[in-house]
Amino acid sequence: MATHSQAKSHRARKPGKRAQNKQLIRDRIVKAALTLFQTKGFETTTTRAIARKAGVAEGTVFNYFNTKEDIALFFFEEEVDHAIAAVRDDPRLRKASLEEKLFTLVHSQLEFLAPYERFIGAALLHALNPASHLGAFSHRAQQLRYRYLAFVADLIENSAPKRNKDVLSWLVPEAFWIYYLGVLLFWLYDTSEGKQHTLAFLDRSLNIGVSFLKAGRR
Amino acid sequence: MARENTPTRRAFKMASIGANIASGYLGYALQSLFTGRSEREQKLKTTHARVARHVRDEMLSLRGPAMKLGQTLSLQTGILPAETLAELSALQMQAPGMHPSLVRAQVKRSLGKEPEELFATFSPEPFAAASLGQVHEATIPGRESVAVKVQYPGIRDTIENDFKWFRAVTKPAQASGHLPNEAIDEMQQQFLAETDYKREADNIEFFRKRLAPLSFVEVPGVFRGYSSDRVLTMTFIRGKHLQQFLASRPSQKIRNQLGANLFELYYFQLLKLGAFHADPHWGNYLFNDDCHIGLVDFGCAKKLSPSSLQYLRGVYLFPGSRRSAEFRRLLEANYERQGEKLPRAAYQALVDFAGEYRKVYPPEKGKQFVFDFSDKSFLTNYIRHATNLFRTKHVMTDYIFMARAEMGLYNTLHALKARVPTSDIVRKYL
Repeated sequence: MATHSQAKSHRARKPGKRAQNKQLIRDRIVKAALTLFQTKGFETTTTRAIARKAGVAEGTVFNYFNTKEDIALFFFEEEVDHAIAAVRDDPRLRKASLEEKLFTLVHSQLEFLAPYERFIGAALLHALNPASHLGAFSHRAQQLRYRYLAFVADLIENSAPKRNKDVLSWLVPEAFWIYYLGVLLFWLYDTSEGKQHTLAFLDRSLNIGVSFLKAGRR
Repeated sequence: MARENTPTRRAFKMASIGANIASGYLGYALQSLFTGRSEREQKLKTTHARVARHVRDEMLSLRGPAMKLGQTLSLQTGILPAETLAELSALQMQAPGMHPSLVRAQVKRSLGKEPEELFATFSPEPFAAASLGQVHEATIPGRESVAVKVQYPGIRDTIENDFKWFRAVTKPAQASGHLPNEAIDEMQQQFLAETDYKREADNIEFFRKRLAPLSFVEVPGVFRGYSSDRVLTMTFIRGKHLQQFLASRPSQKIRNQLGANLFELYYFQLLKLGAFHADPHWGNYLFNDDCHIGLVDFGCAKKLSPSSLQYLRGVYLFPGSRRSAEFRRLLEANYERQGEKLPRAAYQALVDFAGEYRKVYPPEKGKQFVFDFSDKSFLTNYIRHATNLFRTKHVMTDYIFMARAEMGLYNTLHALKARVPTSDIVRKYL
């Protein structure tokens, strides 16, 4: 039975009606944008088309996002939040191996991205532009990457703690980022039924990677 | 538990298996230059055992098709020495598994939902490992316990890749005629077919219906709504694996009855159905104290061509001499049906081989005849004659998997030390 204070704190966390409405509109804009990115292409989609598809005025879109790149970045932030929660909040994974946790993390990301595969390919290319909000030089994109890699570093440290810290410790999460991009490319080009090759590649490559990592930390 | 299985890693492992075999026997060859005959024989046995242990461990870590190849070779006619066979038989039921998250992902991709959403209960740990997948216990809402077989992802490509390497590392065996190319082709085709669980579901339904007259056999039922080409849900069959069953020290009477049931099951399939369960490794048979046999894993089922069936009906319990003109005509007719002329070497090997069958179920003996499978010399002779037959390179394609099934049957009957009224049983279905 929930206590009075628990119920109160639950009510306190619940967003108000105004905030709920704002969230609904933002979700509509993001959904409309992703549908257009997927069907019409990222480069050719305009904010006007997004507003029309979402059933809002173009000015309303700008109340939430400055550019269509910001919409895309918001989607990738949601993807990372979703994947981190899939590992952190699943009680079945509490005693799981590092391989299994990393598998769940990456697999949740791919599942999240799956409905928008065409757009993901375009976004990857777009991110190569140094001026892009999605690219390596964007402050927001960098923060997202740091948050993701900090979670990966925690998973590794908790499952395979290193006795003595050395200057190269920071390299492991960075290597994982490169690995993740590799998996993403593999997945994009995987034409096997049900993306079976990606599943196999993910499982087997993580097994090799983690066994090397553990051997190196002994 | 190593599960490092990228194509490069697998290739490296396959190559290392080959290198280890070569270095093991090279070491033996060098030592044998300086040793006497009895010491040489002892050293050869030790070398066989050491190499076999290594091969088993490596194949186990490769899982999937490589492990299945090991299983097949462990039951196949005398391609490998006895010490190697003993080690490979350990592959029968062990294999490193998929972790629960991978199983969940595979089930979701195949059936649209995670196993915990589909089933009332689902055990995340497998209770049995198959070479191309693993089996979990679950319950269907409002129904009985079921066994859910989940396939390793990307297994078809792994099979093709493993066979590429298997062909490369077994070149000497192919050149010597111990392992004909046709046998490898047939195995590869069969393994690929085994990856289609829809086909296996069809096989199960076929055998469940057709084996109904044998009241001592239990075949699972399939739940199509919970199955796909990569997930197969079946009724849960209970029973003990052979080693567990033997550990419970069953009486000679029970072992005889179980042996007779196994023998009848095989010849009923062969002669009455013209189709048989051709994956006889011990993990696929479940034994019960009341002599019931549970038969699982129908991925490898073979249907005989009508001409092969006609031929088998003619040669089993053939009343005359195996060297008679009439028997020769039977053999010739079989080769002609396949567009071939009976080669002299194949004729001789077939006559010798048929002689072995004559010892197991002599045509002229009736109810009083009982064959004692505890006699190891029968197995040794069977392997020798079957090997000679394979070496002639003129074996019926159907026989490649029949040999596998027969070898499995005879191995099991030998382990049971069963005494079986063989002639009577075969006569029943001719």
